[in-house]
Amino acid sequence: MEHRFRSRSALIVGLGSLLAIMAVAGLSALRVLQDVRGKDDTIRRQFLSRNHVLNDIRSQVYLSGTLVRDYLLEPESNRAETYRTSLEDIRRQMYEALDSYGRAVDQDEIQQYTALRNELDRYWETLTPVFAWSSAERGQRGYPFLRDEVFPRRSNMLAMADRIAEINEQQLNAGNAQVAALLAGFQSRLVVTLIAALGLGLGLAAFSARRIAKLEARENARFDEVASARAQLKDLSAKLVHAQETERRGLSRELHDEVGQSLSAVLVELRNLSAGLGVRPVEDLRAQAEETKALVESTVRVVRNMALLLRPSMLDDLGLAPALRWQAREVSKRTGMDVTVTTELASDDFPDEYKTCIYRVVQEALHNCARHAHASKVRVRLQQSGDHFALSIQDDGIGFNPEQTKGLGLLGIQERVTGLGGRCRVHSTPGRGTVLAVELPCPAEKTLADPVRA
Amino acid sequence: MSAIRILLADDHVVMRRGLRFLLESQKDFSVIGEASDGREAVQQAEALNPDVAVLDIAMPHLSGLEAAQRIAAQSPRIGIVMLSMHSDEGYVLRALKAGARSYLLKDSAEDDLIEAIKAVSHGKTYFGSEISNMLVEDYIREIRARGLEDTFETLTSREREILQLVAEGNSNKEIANQLNVSPYTIETHRRNLQEKLNLHTVADLILYAVRKRIIS
Repeated sequence: MEHRFRSRSALIVGLGSLLAIMAVAGLSALRVLQDVRGKDDTIRRQFLSRNHVLNDIRSQVYLSGTLVRDYLLEPESNRAETYRTSLEDIRRQMYEALDSYGRAVDQDEIQQYTALRNELDRYWETLTPVFAWSSAERGQRGYPFLRDEVFPRRSNMLAMADRIAEINEQQLNAGNAQVAALLAGFQSRLVVTLIAALGLGLGLAAFSARRIAKLEARENARFDEVASARAQLKDLSAKLVHAQETERRGLSRELHDEVGQSLSAVLVELRNLSAGLGVRPVEDLRAQAEETKALVESTVRVVRNMALLLRPSMLDDLGLAPALRWQAREVSKRTGMDVTVTTELASDDFPDEYKTCIYRVVQEALHNCARHAHASKVRVRLQQSGDHFALSIQDDGIGFNPEQTKGLGLLGIQERVTGLGGRCRVHSTPGRGTVLAVELPCPAEKTLADPVRA
Repeated sequence: MSAIRILLADDHVVMRRGLRFLLESQKDFSVIGEASDGREAVQQAEALNPDVAVLDIAMPHLSGLEAAQRIAAQSPRIGIVMLSMHSDEGYVLRALKAGARSYLLKDSAEDDLIEAIKAVSHGKTYFGSEISNMLVEDYIREIRARGLEDTFETLTSREREILQLVAEGNSNKEIANQLNVSPYTIETHRRNLQEKLNLHTVADLILYAVRKRIIS
């Protein structure tokens, strides 16, 4: 019972931890995947938006260069004014782009960013006096200014933007590496979890398999036991039916052959006597009457023996102990065995089925002693101690192996005793005599306590 | 001498008729009542106050043993003869304890009943030859099988004499009168012999005496 409970709780704990491990592994996998995806997204978005801004700045630098050139080389004042307005627009746009970039700039690129911004400031500072030039001045100083001031600064800015883009790309790579590391960590954790779950699952499976095998074996053993018990019972009941039939046949034959025949003979004799009255000599009649009397006497004996065999009247008239002593004397007389009976009973006041059971057990045991054991001395002891009867029948006969031989008599004893909730054991070794020990629960207390019977 | 007044109790009419026929052939016997069961026997004994009650051991309602016990308690003067089918000493002892002074087998009643009735009417004990022989045989077999010491040998001749007189149904006073000694002397002897034989009731003493063929 306890074992079953233990293994059941072990199974529950094992399965529970297996499920817990799987749930934890699954949840952490989901979380890690979500993290990875989020991080990946952010990195890509940041990279793209920065790249976009940088490209804008870069194209505006080019555009501004072109516009400055057009402005400087344009002789028409009105046209030049249009270029200048466009340049102002571009300048504003460039600063807007740079500001938006500056909001997301991080530690690694702040230097480059500031440099770019300064360069841009200088660029526009360099350009500012140009807008005040007249068209003649533009025509005269325009080209050298472009060549010496604008183009080098423009190249500088572009180089800086390229460096920033490079850093940006480096960051993208670093982010990707971070994601990869996250994934690798997750992978190794997943492997560990998988191995743990697999190990635990294998352990559980092995434990369950062994447990099931054990249960199956026990079930099979029980089934075999039941089957053999059933077979034994069937065999026993067949034997009992046979024994009952044999007994009845014996009684019937005895009734018919002994009692019936004798009574018929008596009838004939009486008829003859009555016919002979006054006809035959008195001596003759007396002799015949004596013969008839002897016949009746022997018939009376036969009937008495049969009645005693069926149910000894002393069991009812005198009680158990005197009936047992009578039986012992009868067996002694019949077989020559010395049978002693010792009884220690508190009273003779217990139910009839107990008296009958004990009486029949002793009867059967004595029968075995005489017929099978060839004993010369038999001791019958009956004790009432506390809450049970202890009955023992010990002989000095040839003994037998109780494991191998079990006669009908012994089976009958067992049936009677277990029928009343008792136990019965046989101790015997070939050549060493036999002890039959019977223990019966005592009903006396219950009988006394029963108010209906009191 | 007036006739002995007898009550007959047996549940079989044929048996009663046979016994009555047997008893009334004796001129100093008179069958004054019949009963067909134990209860009726007790009532009749009280109503008729017979000298002797002949009881069958197996009767309906109240067994012969029970009836004997009640009659003996009611009027110890009535001599009781128990008729039985059983020749076992368990029954004999039980009948003696119930108060019967004679125990006969039904088979042999016609041979022994008349003697038995005469004996119990004088307060004496009586057992038919068949019962006596059976008891003696059982006793001898037991002694031989067990190799028991015969305690009878340890009794003095006076004790043996007193054992016989007790077993025959005499009271201490009667014995004292017969032997011309005081009842106290008898009481002392009796106690001693009971101690030696380890027998403590009159019934046991009677059974023992029969077994030893001291009485029959």
